[in-house]
Amino acid sequence: MNAILTEIISILYYALIAFLVVLIIYNMIKTKDWKKEIVYVIILIPFLLRLFMLK
Amino acid sequence: MYTSAAIVLGVMVLFYFIALRFKLSTELAMLVAALAGAVAGGHFFPARHVAEGAITYLDINLIFFCATLFMNILKESGGVAYAVRSIIKTFHKSRILLLMLLALLLLIPGALTGAGSVTVLIVGSMVAVVLNYMGVTKIKTAAIIFLIAGLSAAAPPVSLWAMMTAAGVNMPYVGFFWPLLIPCVLGALFTIFFLGWKGSKIDVDKAFEELPEPPQKMNWTRIAIPFLIFFVLMFMGRKWPHDTPVVGMPLMFLFAALASWLLSPKKIDLFKISAATLKQLLPLIGTLTCVGILVQIMTLTGVRGLLAITFITLPAFLVIGSLFFFLPITESVLMYGSAAVFGVPLVLLFNSMGLNPIVALAGMSVIWPLGDALPPTAIIGRLTVDVAGAKDSYGKFLKQCIVPAIVIMILGTLMVVYSKQLGFLTGI
Repeated sequence: MNAILTEIISILYYALIAFLVVLIIYNMIKTKDWKKEIVYVIILIPFLLRLFMLK
Repeated sequence: MYTSAAIVLGVMVLFYFIALRFKLSTELAMLVAALAGAVAGGHFFPARHVAEGAITYLDINLIFFCATLFMNILKESGGVAYAVRSIIKTFHKSRILLLMLLALLLLIPGALTGAGSVTVLIVGSMVAVVLNYMGVTKIKTAAIIFLIAGLSAAAPPVSLWAMMTAAGVNMPYVGFFWPLLIPCVLGALFTIFFLGWKGSKIDVDKAFEELPEPPQKMNWTRIAIPFLIFFVLMFMGRKWPHDTPVVGMPLMFLFAALASWLLSPKKIDLFKISAATLKQLLPLIGTLTCVGILVQIMTLTGVRGLLAITFITLPAFLVIGSLFFFLPITESVLMYGSAAVFGVPLVLLFNSMGLNPIVALAGMSVIWPLGDALPPTAIIGRLTVDVAGAKDSYGKFLKQCIVPAIVIMILGTLMVVYSKQLGFLTGI
């Protein structure tokens, strides 16, 4: 039972990361400030690394 | 070795201040400092280390986002307005109880999210209205909100300074609950009574006119259920660690946020509020990501080792005696980065001296947030003055903060000094 729940939790975390990636890209497109765009690009890195299971 | 690390450190400091001079934000200045340090250390652009550093605080960022989303949904649904109105309605006759409950209200958002700015944005304006109608001046109100917001950020369950330092010394984030909660509550109560005791009887009708109106169907059950879900999940994980799967704080907050969203009497656009939350948190998530990169480059170039050795070889009385001004200054420059850069060697030093690292770190965590009012960053300080609607000079705001800040500094320093004797608070 615990193994199944752990698997579900893991999937939920990946879904959360994917949702955040969408939000970051959405906000990045909407912002007009280049400094904020850079910050969005930087914060996108760890989320993409986790989403693609690289880290 | 020492010379090369010292040169890299000098380059990092120089580029950090140059970046600030060019009006870059703190997080970008830290990134510039890290990249300049890498070049000075002969590594040019170490892409692997940048990626590695950027992911260091991913979990903390997830907690940050989910907890703030929960708080934002609670505010948007009218839950916060309902709670403030109910507190005034029930306790307006007793100034003591009202002040205590307002302090508690200010402590909750920051304690859950780990960010003082969330406290200021979620409950700051409403508490400011109540305090103003209790006869507290706007500048004193700003000082109360700022200081308690800082303490709320240090309060458990989420204290980023403690979490980041603990992660840096490979110490589990366990046993911090009471060592963090007690000084934060004591500091908050002292602050609100010292600055808010003198005033007039609250004008309930006028306060109600200015406070936002919650939806008709809002009630305590709708507010309590999401909190209950969060605390039950947390309790289960601690009570039966081997029989329950590891849910993790981000998901606990996410479940609470979803419950709050489902129970909201008015319709809330989940995507819109999530995007707004991310926008609101951008400086904080950016800071944590850039701090990770900075610390990684500092490790790569030997600067981190240099700082650690320098701290460990300093006389103990000098280190402990200077904590009260050293920690706020590092916070004002590096924000949360101060915990990763300076907190780690300090905890190693205290541990080597035989002090209790958990209680000592908790004591330091209480002092750190005071730096959020100091230049060059002072983001939370200035934000609080704006939210409270104070028109006085920033210097006057700082003057109001002095006495409670000194008490908080003494409290934090005493916790470091007597950490061994206070070790029982950890429950370990």
